[in-house]
Amino acid sequence: MADLAGAAPGIAAAPTERPQGAGRDRHEGMRHAIATLMARSKREIPHYYLATTIDLSSALNWLADANAVRPVTERLLPAALLLKATSLAVADVPTMNGFWDDGFRPSAAVHLGVAVSLRSGGLVAPAIHDADRLHLDLLMAALRDLVRRARAGTLRGSEMSDPTITVTNLGDQGVEEVFGVIYPPQVALVGFGNINERPWAAGGMLGVRPVVRATLAADHRVSDGHEGARFLGAIDRLLQAPEAL
Amino acid sequence: MNPDEARALLARLLHEIAPESDLSSVDPDALLQDELDLDSMDFLNLVTALHDETGIDVPERDYPQLATVAGFVAYVTAAAATSTT
Repeated sequence: MADLAGAAPGIAAAPTERPQGAGRDRHEGMRHAIATLMARSKREIPHYYLATTIDLSSALNWLADANAVRPVTERLLPAALLLKATSLAVADVPTMNGFWDDGFRPSAAVHLGVAVSLRSGGLVAPAIHDADRLHLDLLMAALRDLVRRARAGTLRGSEMSDPTITVTNLGDQGVEEVFGVIYPPQVALVGFGNINERPWAAGGMLGVRPVVRATLAADHRVSDGHEGARFLGAIDRLLQAPEAL
Repeated sequence: MNPDEARALLARLLHEIAPESDLSSVDPDALLQDELDLDSMDFLNLVTALHDETGIDVPERDYPQLATVAGFVAYVTAAAATSTT
């Protein structure tokens, strides 16, 4: 996935519609914004954490076939599938999508925050709007555009402020799993680690499959582990039928 | 395209993706992804930019061959030779 990455979705210090002025001030401003937000999250949100391992062989076989007949400009990254599956799973478990504001305010729209690490340090987590309704090709295009603009410092204010749930993907950095810090006032954060081949038993047979560790950090004021487990289960189920994503 | 030109092209393309990268300090046989802290989106952008500049469309199964400076130079030199003959 895109690398998109970040242990903690942070941010907000990003100036909009103008290039990042390089500089220490900007870097320190972002560090401060992340510190403030993450400290608030850990202080106020009673997180609970779940993890599961998802077999990606169907998804990656489908992806390889799809990419084989696409020009390089239209190829998909595995991240696009992970993001789409996450945004669709929200329909099964709406308590993952929305905001806490003296009570849970669910969101009808799925604006998927994507944690993007910046080369200068720090990270931003802007939204792909209505990710659940975007065709995979459009979601991939949106992801490319979002990462490019995040790193160029030209995100729009609305993208920075309105994610309803966030995904962080540290797969490219080589870690297997990431337990994230929820980005307030959101109520859930999904993490994906790297895609690795692992021994996998299914139907009494042992084989080698590409797998990914999917994790959930969710707000216990809003949901319980049972719902969180159903949410990760829904992501898994959706990834087993990639042609439907 | 000769190897020197391929190497210069790589340096130019990488500069767009990772402006602080300095190819001269990278071991030709080390993984670019590790050396320059590139992620999969960066790599896709590199392959896309290569296509835009040269018309070379690298199939996904060949991506591993472009993972090092030496591999990139060899692949692009060979691909450019094929496409012009």
